[in-house]
Amino acid sequence: MADLRSIAHSRDKFIRESSDVAEPGPRRMSYALEAEGLTKTYGAVRALDDLTLRIPAGGVFGVLGPNGAGKSTLFRIAMGLVRPSSGVARLSGSPAGHASSLRRVGAMIETPRYPPYLTARDALKMLALQSGAHDVDIDGWLDRVGLTGAADRKTSTYSVGMKQRLGLAAVFFTRPTLAILDEPTSGMDPAGIQEIRELIRRLAAEEGATIILASHQLDEVRRVCDRVAILAKGKLVAEGPVETLAGRKPALRIVASPLPQVLQILGEQGAADGPDAALAQIERHEAPALIRALVGAGVDIHEARWREADLESAYLDILQAKEPADAR
Amino acid sequence: MLADAISAERFRLLKDRGTLFWGVLFAPIAGLVLNIGGELFARSLMKGAPPIPVDIVGRMVKALAGGASPVVGLFVLILSTAVLAGDYRWETWRLLTPRNGRVNLLLAKLATVAAAVAISLVLYTLAAAVGGLFSAATSGGPLVGYPGGSPLVDLAGTFAISWLQLMVLVALSALVGVVTRSTMGALIVGLAFAAVQSIVASQMHEPSLKALAIPAFSGDLLKTVLLMPRSVTDEPAPWALALGFLLAWLAGLSAAALALFQRQDLTRE
Repeated sequence: MADLRSIAHSRDKFIRESSDVAEPGPRRMSYALEAEGLTKTYGAVRALDDLTLRIPAGGVFGVLGPNGAGKSTLFRIAMGLVRPSSGVARLSGSPAGHASSLRRVGAMIETPRYPPYLTARDALKMLALQSGAHDVDIDGWLDRVGLTGAADRKTSTYSVGMKQRLGLAAVFFTRPTLAILDEPTSGMDPAGIQEIRELIRRLAAEEGATIILASHQLDEVRRVCDRVAILAKGKLVAEGPVETLAGRKPALRIVASPLPQVLQILGEQGAADGPDAALAQIERHEAPALIRALVGAGVDIHEARWREADLESAYLDILQAKEPADAR
Repeated sequence: MLADAISAERFRLLKDRGTLFWGVLFAPIAGLVLNIGGELFARSLMKGAPPIPVDIVGRMVKALAGGASPVVGLFVLILSTAVLAGDYRWETWRLLTPRNGRVNLLLAKLATVAAAVAISLVLYTLAAAVGGLFSAATSGGPLVGYPGGSPLVDLAGTFAISWLQLMVLVALSALVGVVTRSTMGALIVGLAFAAVQSIVASQMHEPSLKALAIPAFSGDLLKTVLLMPRSVTDEPAPWALALGFLLAWLAGLSAAALALFQRQDLTRE
């Protein structure tokens, strides 16, 4: 499958680039989060499976993967909430979960929850005290996340979106160098998603922190992130700049019969895409000649359409490619 | 920093009015109501009886001596389970643990509860004093001096012993809270422990090692040695051993809670 090979090639190239900069010396890159051989098992369930991942400092890094891929487990290990079964995780070079590394990190893991008897103002005050940040401008932060009007309401009366916004204030108000946001828009309506996305962008720009963002919203990731890693079943299956993963060559999707004859004509440039379609990895100017060749060979063409490359299809392709590999 | 964690816990408890009322204020308020109500009831039964002398310090010492009863223990457990295990219930550990060390967080909770228990005990004692003053005012009974030893030593000593006994319950609720991740679990186990140890201690008379291992027995022995030294025996009472057992319970349960919490995975709290 040519397109997957190109993804693998891109991934390998990216990993080589990462390896190059990881070598000691003047070009050594600093990493916000490093995982080396990280494994976490819950009974028979392997949430992380020998995961090695390096997230460079700076910019917005997306972590993608289906439910159960291990994203939250990775973040919980990084924040010291969960102990790995084996392997190590480091935050900015310090062991993950240690007070020294956590002082520079803010995290919102899944939907934030607060003691129900606290107002938003109280919750931020309590978290500021807990962090030893005595000079935090709580009113200013409530204003930045649009909660001034509800500052003295108990958080138990807040909507999911309001809790997320308060969570973002709690992440950023200690001025972290790294912010981990685990599905910050989950459970929100489209307007709320848009609002939070804008807020993350703004805070990232204003605060200058490295942001690691896990999300199921691929459009969100495409718009916000510079680089992404895709996890599946606790393993890293792809990693690289968003445009590298999403910007593969477009493919011509041909619904035709008989399909085996189509695939024979396409040779190495073709791959089946379902029971009645083929994907042709060709350049746009090659399409008319291909169509003529297929018609000349007696193939009935029902539909021929260019499938544009995007992060979503790349993501699905990568995950589908992972499935047969697992089955083997 | 531990000081930051203590500040945060203190701030948080002051905002948790339900826990403050039931865990800190209810026992003193109930004590006050019972003192005054009991006085009024007794007056109504004994109309025309001569005024009874009122020993305020004696009433305070007596209140403190009963300050570690299972009934008071219930309210202390409401306080301690809310503070120590509430973050499992609200799933808020993930909000706190990245901001401070786990040991600091749990120690801060223990320190906050310890201070709140001390305040509750002081209020409970003051309620007894107010009840005594009310009795003297309504009956016209004279205020008399404390017949025992040094009032300050007896007050401070009884306070310390009862506080220590209650803190054993607090430490137990911390451990059970961490193990069960449940406020209700910690409350029920703590209450059962308080009731059972009280019953078992009342059945034991000789200060054997087995008896001294029961916190209620050790506490009662220490209070007896302090308040009624002549009634103990002609042999030296094993007060140091009793105190050692109480401290060992407190230290052992707290250390176990800390050790388990430090290693605990906080997935879904």
